Amino acid sequence: MTRRSRPLPITRRTFLQGVSAAALLAACSGGEGSSPQSAAPTEGAPEERFTDPATQLSGDLRLLMWSHFVPAHDEWFDTFAQEWGERVGVNVTVDHIDVTTIPARISSEIGSGEGHDLIEMIATLSQFEPSVYSMNDLMDEANSRFGTQLELCQKSSFNPTTENYYAYAPAWSPDPGDYRKSLWEEAGLPDGPSTWDELLEGGGRIFSEQDIQMGLGMSQEIDSNMYARALMWSFGGAEQDESETVTLMSDQTIAAVEYAKELFDAAMTEEVFAWNPASNNEGLIAGQLSYILNSISAWRTAQESIPDIAKDVFFVPALEGPERQLAAQHVMYNWITPKFSQNFDAAQEFLLHYTENLPRVAYESKLYDFPGYPDQVPDLDGWLDEDPFTIEGDDSTKLQPLKNAVDWSTNLGYPGPASPAIGEINNIFILPNMLARVARGNQEPEQSVEQAHQECEEIFEKWRREGLVGGG
Amino acid sequence: MTPAHRADEVGTVAPDTVTRVPEPTPRPQLARRRLADREGFLAKLFLLPTVAYIIGLVAFPFVLAIVFSFSDVTTGNPSLDFVGLRQWRTILGSRVFWTAFRNTITFTVISMALIVLIAHVLATVLVKDFKGKWLVRFCVLLPWTTPVALAAVSWLWLLNSIFSPIDWVLRWFGLIEANMYYLGRPVLAMGSVIAVHVWRIVPVATVIIMAGHMAIPGEINDAAEIDGAGFWRKLREITIPLTLPISAVAVLFGAILTFADMTVVFILTRGGPTQATQVLSSWAFFKGIEGGDLAQGAAVALFLFPLLLAAAIAILRAVRRTEVM
Repeated sequence: MTRRSRPLPITRRTFLQGVSAAALLAACSGGEGSSPQSAAPTEGAPEERFTDPATQLSGDLRLLMWSHFVPAHDEWFDTFAQEWGERVGVNVTVDHIDVTTIPARISSEIGSGEGHDLIEMIATLSQFEPSVYSMNDLMDEANSRFGTQLELCQKSSFNPTTENYYAYAPAWSPDPGDYRKSLWEEAGLPDGPSTWDELLEGGGRIFSEQDIQMGLGMSQEIDSNMYARALMWSFGGAEQDESETVTLMSDQTIAAVEYAKELFDAAMTEEVFAWNPASNNEGLIAGQLSYILNSISAWRTAQESIPDIAKDVFFVPALEGPERQLAAQHVMYNWITPKFSQNFDAAQEFLLHYTENLPRVAYESKLYDFPGYPDQVPDLDGWLDEDPFTIEGDDSTKLQPLKNAVDWSTNLGYPGPASPAIGEINNIFILPNMLARVARGNQEPEQSVEQAHQECEEIFEKWRREGLVGGG
Repeated sequence: MTPAHRADEVGTVAPDTVTRVPEPTPRPQLARRRLADREGFLAKLFLLPTVAYIIGLVAFPFVLAIVFSFSDVTTGNPSLDFVGLRQWRTILGSRVFWTAFRNTITFTVISMALIVLIAHVLATVLVKDFKGKWLVRFCVLLPWTTPVALAAVSWLWLLNSIFSPIDWVLRWFGLIEANMYYLGRPVLAMGSVIAVHVWRIVPVATVIIMAGHMAIPGEINDAAEIDGAGFWRKLREITIPLTLPISAVAVLFGAILTFADMTVVFILTRGGPTQATQVLSSWAFFKGIEGGDLAQGAAVALFLFPLLLAAAIAILRAVRRTEVM
């Protein structure tokens, strides 16, 4: 199918602004390196808490984690981790690497039998279950200290087939809709879309009347995965049921795919087929997108680089579909300890310390990170009511739609767990490609869903043979 | 003076002085001297690092990959259970695999044709004498010296859907009205991947072919010119035939690099749009590392080995025949 192209209203000024924003985003991705800097406490940050470890700790504790989308978080975290180490007698080192390289790094470390003691990833790590320590005892201790962990965190780290917590998920980030208020006001929806129908109607109008497209990726990257799932779930479809049987081929999924094509035809350009994780952020910051599905990171970046755009970005909860209102978590912090680690005790104690300080985590991440133990962060609603990091002239209440994010967010694999099969489906981007094939006109919706269903079946069957997935 | 020199001198003195020959050189030094004189031993010794390197970093991983492809190994569970041909059957039944296979062939064939053509043109120019030749040579070699990841990221920006400077320039000249979305359209995306890859490999191919051009004795061209041969005839009957063996080496080298490369695809398109630029090496990475299925990843990666081996043998034989002739 030949896709129409839209002339883009790019001036030299917007071009240079966009390039600056892109450079800033690239800089945010960072590189590896343990760089404990003496970060001054952020103004207004909650007090740090400390509880003595249950046992005497010693030795080294090497942490590997992503380079946070909010760089200030990493500066704080490195100091936080090292200060804890000094206090309990553990030599802590922290390495930050680009998030896309973490699975490969974990694979090589497990393969070679040496590396980091504690590894954090922002998506499920269920495929590594046979090679990591069980976190069951840690979960018992954490639940007794901090209350009940959110269900979406539990389902992202627990394997019901083996009854094992292979990871520990103390924090997460929601995935709201980020929209440009000025554009949606002109389209007659000043508060942004609240349903998928409104998204189609308003987004299409903005595209045809204001020449600004929408940015919902159908590419091989994380945000495209989240879009595909939010859409499918809202229409009543799902990859699996609660008992881990593949259910992708359904009228509901087909309806979702048909909608995706309609939305693409009405409001998007072909750029969405080859995006990387930063692309929709760049487009929004550059003022070239009317609506994206993302965390608040793009907006936080814009606050520093292009404040005028930041002031125009607002948020809406997951969109209401024919069946439900649901979105995937944007980020799920999964911590694992490979079995080669010699210091699992210290790793567990550090995670308890981290969980105890979730208020600080939320604050230092500029409200990017949400607690998996909400009782631990009673101030969160207040911060979302009145953003402590607001910039001059911006609306400090714009994060309020995130207050009930837990009600419209769920784990990958909903309504079942985030199993290794779900992880593989996520990591090889079966669902975004299912949407893209139809949006491009390469396949009919039924064919595309059928193909994706078959691919999912093969993956589930393989992991069932490994004993890590139930159902069948 | 070394003991060896002294012994030679001793051999030239009068017989009555032989009794005053110094004590024989200590045994270890003699042993060392003998070893140092043994060419066969030295040859093996000097080859040892290369052999160790090949065994450690090529042969061992290669054998391991073969073993993996017949097992059920995953990134999370390195224990091996033999599963026969199951992984191979699975990948051969996968649509994405065949898409990646076709893309790999397209990517390699078009890339290599362009690389050889451009490298020949550049080599022909660069062997001539002209003002600023060193600058041109420097510029031609520059892409080869740039780290591939850095270069691909720069290209990512050049091909950006919104901020592409290429689009900007084309719009400036009135050649296009709207952005091209280079990486979002299958044909343009494959074209972009090929263009970046060609840009990377052309310098090394140029250097190789330039060596071939420079090895052609000047007398042959002079004689041809005296006989009235023009540029095209010299090209057809002298340059191309005499540079064929080295061109074949460049093709072989470039083809293997192209078959095995996933960096450009991974950074530019991650295999998209809708797998239109997915190649076997990138699919092996996605399936094996990102997806956790190491066994299937290994099977995908190994699939082209027999083809590559056959191509390498065929090219090397052709080169040998050409040299003999």
